Amino acid sequence: MNRLKTRWIIFGGLFLIVTLSYLTNIRFKSVASPEIQKSYDYLDSLPEGSVIMVSFDHEASSLPEIQPLALVVLRHAFKNNLKIIGVSLFAEGTAIGYRLLSQTAREYDKTYGVDYVFLGFKPQQISAILGMGESIAHVFPEDYLGTPTDEIPIMMNIVNYDQIEMVISIADGALAVHWIEYVGGQYHQNIMTALTAAMITTYDPYLASGQLYSVIGGLKGAAEYENLLGQPGGGNRGMLAQTSAHVYVIVLIVIGNILYFRGRKNGKA
Amino acid sequence: MQQRLPIAVCFIAGALMFLQYFSPHPVARAVFVTINDYWQIIFAFTLLVGIAAFVRTNLRQISRGKEAPYRLIGLAGLVLMPVLAVFGGIKIESPFQWAFENMLAPMQATVFSLLAFFVASASFRGFRARNAQAVILLAAALVVLIGRVPITEMISDTFPKITFWVQNYPSMAARRGILIGIGLGSMTTALRVILGIERTYLRGE
Repeated sequence: MNRLKTRWIIFGGLFLIVTLSYLTNIRFKSVASPEIQKSYDYLDSLPEGSVIMVSFDHEASSLPEIQPLALVVLRHAFKNNLKIIGVSLFAEGTAIGYRLLSQTAREYDKTYGVDYVFLGFKPQQISAILGMGESIAHVFPEDYLGTPTDEIPIMMNIVNYDQIEMVISIADGALAVHWIEYVGGQYHQNIMTALTAAMITTYDPYLASGQLYSVIGGLKGAAEYENLLGQPGGGNRGMLAQTSAHVYVIVLIVIGNILYFRGRKNGKA
Repeated sequence: MQQRLPIAVCFIAGALMFLQYFSPHPVARAVFVTINDYWQIIFAFTLLVGIAAFVRTNLRQISRGKEAPYRLIGLAGLVLMPVLAVFGGIKIESPFQWAFENMLAPMQATVFSLLAFFVASASFRGFRARNAQAVILLAAALVVLIGRVPITEMISDTFPKITFWVQNYPSMAARRGILIGIGLGSMTTALRVILGIERTYLRGE
């Protein structure tokens, strides 16, 4: 009974802290880490009209963390008049990717088919990734809305990865590894990833070896990028909640250990 | 014959895919594209198998009266989304997109967010400095937790530096070891399958 009560107190505390954090308007001034700066500088250096591929490789469950990451990348690309080819290798990322692209395109007054296109979902990620190395139109004969890919203006001069400056995988799992290993390795394409915080360490070895160009990691990464772009959004809004939750967990660990050592001293543990 | 034929097919397919990688010849590229197409078609059929299994399992459980309301909702969702997509389209203002954004996504995010509550509870109960190894793990976790929030940057830039050190050296060394192990293991297994040494896919015969 006591154990159950403690659990509910812990749950209630976290709920309260996160809710209050979102209700208050405190903003942190976060400094861009070298990785975020590198990502920003690369996209900033691309000439107008360059084509990038953005792959929405995530599920709906991670949307609260993924959305600020995706939005900040798309906003930067559209702001610099880059052209975007959107794809999804996760079924759930399809509807989200289409909505985020359409929403951001509207903000910057971009035209579908000319400035951006969404090709939709393809099952079997590795096969789709490898297939696009030969011909994107072969893997995606139609876009998400059913228009033949060959008839879409932005796709007229695009055959495969050779005409694309960079692939950005917005991922909440290990799917971006396929982009790194197959597209980076076999087709020598630059790969950037926007990842949920929990996945960052998985990609560290690829980053250190240079197989992965850069990583925009977690809500903190999104917040730093938003500040560089001068457009605070979901990343900055979530910083207080994330900070509070981290501090709360640290406090819980400390209290838990104090109680443990006290119990051991009294011979209970 | 029952064994030799699948082993021969496996060897030819494996060797073909291996060799085509090194050839820019149009025939090699055409072989690759064709095999790749079939790979996707076969995978698409596995989605059908998944749907069939989902429907069958749920119907069986409903007939037994086990969690019937939840299972009915699951089945209704399976039917509803394709119906909405087929009859209402998939554009931004479509009912399909509305249902996805306002029903599926919030439900999934809610379930996923429960993880934070269990992490909080587990950090209180399980993260104890019982021995030297646990102390090291605890210290690393605390350093990373502290270093990943902007408030510590405002106090001192030492914490983020320590966090990056933990991630870039001890943590990465362990990850590299695991990745190299996985790579070598995958390569060995692939070779064993192609050469017919590994035959567990033939029901272990």
